[in-house]
Amino acid sequence: MRVREIVIASSIALMVLLLAYVIDLGGLGPLAPHTVRSIARAYLEYVYNPWNATVSSMALEAVTAIVWDYRGLDTYFETSVLFVAIIGVATLYRGYRELKGLGGTGLSEIVKTSTRVLVPLILVAGASIAIHGHLTPGGGFQGGSFMAVLMILLAVVFSLDYAFEKGLTSRRLLAIRSAGLVGILVTSIALLVAGALAGVGAYIFQNMAREGSDFSMPTWLLDRPLGGTLFFFNIFESLAVVSGLTLTFIVLALRKEEVDQALAAGEWYE
Amino acid sequence: MSDYFSTMFTVVVLSLVANIGIALYGIFAKPSLIKKFIALTIFSDSINSFAIAIGFRRVAGSYPSVAVLADVPGSPEELQRFSATSVDPLPQALVLTAIVIGLAVYMFLAGLIMLYYKHYGTTRVDVARGGPRG
Repeated sequence: MRVREIVIASSIALMVLLLAYVIDLGGLGPLAPHTVRSIARAYLEYVYNPWNATVSSMALEAVTAIVWDYRGLDTYFETSVLFVAIIGVATLYRGYRELKGLGGTGLSEIVKTSTRVLVPLILVAGASIAIHGHLTPGGGFQGGSFMAVLMILLAVVFSLDYAFEKGLTSRRLLAIRSAGLVGILVTSIALLVAGALAGVGAYIFQNMAREGSDFSMPTWLLDRPLGGTLFFFNIFESLAVVSGLTLTFIVLALRKEEVDQALAAGEWYE
Repeated sequence: MSDYFSTMFTVVVLSLVANIGIALYGIFAKPSLIKKFIALTIFSDSINSFAIAIGFRRVAGSYPSVAVLADVPGSPEELQRFSATSVDPLPQALVLTAIVIGLAVYMFLAGLIMLYYKHYGTTRVDVARGGPRG
């Protein structure tokens, strides 16, 4: 046992030293460089470019544009991974039923009152992060996680009984999660379907008008850029993330009686 | 000869590499699943910080400088200035993806560890023998 730990520690120390040596030699280029790679330069020039609109995504936020436009298919599968992980958590605890009247009363009145003050603030901040994702730093993931904190706060401060009473059941949360994913799917193929109906070519995950396809998602809202699909993706993604994270938290916070139900159901399945 | 800023930046990046090594040691050598889990989150956070640090760009002169496109519709000159001073957005987009997937996987792992504890009565992998089902 002793030898094993020494071998592990020394080999990891060797790895760190070798990596540090490579980086110090310049394996990653000069650190704190004055230039970025040409692909980064291209993204920065194309992300908001009304003078070259066939390559632009017309959003002011480069990260959101990369995530949902230039690498949209990647992000679609990534959000599927998120969905599968949430399904995995729900499957681990399959068979539990929300029990009411277990006697949870939540925290003290002081905490509850201050939470009631906080609720609208957190909700508005999270929604603005999600909906302004194409204009300012943020997006669907970040805004959704922000609002999931609100749901977790409600479940902790007002007790799980209260959350179940207010309708935060696993069935409903999974339905919202699936609706968000379906919304993302519909947005991603909307222009493709429109092109097929009109009998001209269009692309999957198409955002602005591209070469060979004149269809375009809405570009401007009044005098502000809308970013086309980015706006819809952010809204649907925030819905999906807030419901999914709330579901996993509630499943992890289940009471003993409910987990025992799940374990009994697991033995039944075997 | 490199200046103070570059030296400190290199120190930060190298300390992140050391952090990765320590987290790997925690994952391999610690018997408790909770400690392995914590080490795994530290590992992933170190790698994410590392990726963002690699995408950093240093602009000569003006610090602190934040490159934003503020004016709509703006002008081509301003766009040029923006793309000449902004940091690399690609690592940030990849790290955003990694964080979200990581969060989901950690929640799955936490649920798994809780079931493990219910089954064996311990989270240590070296002493967990038997259990309700042998």
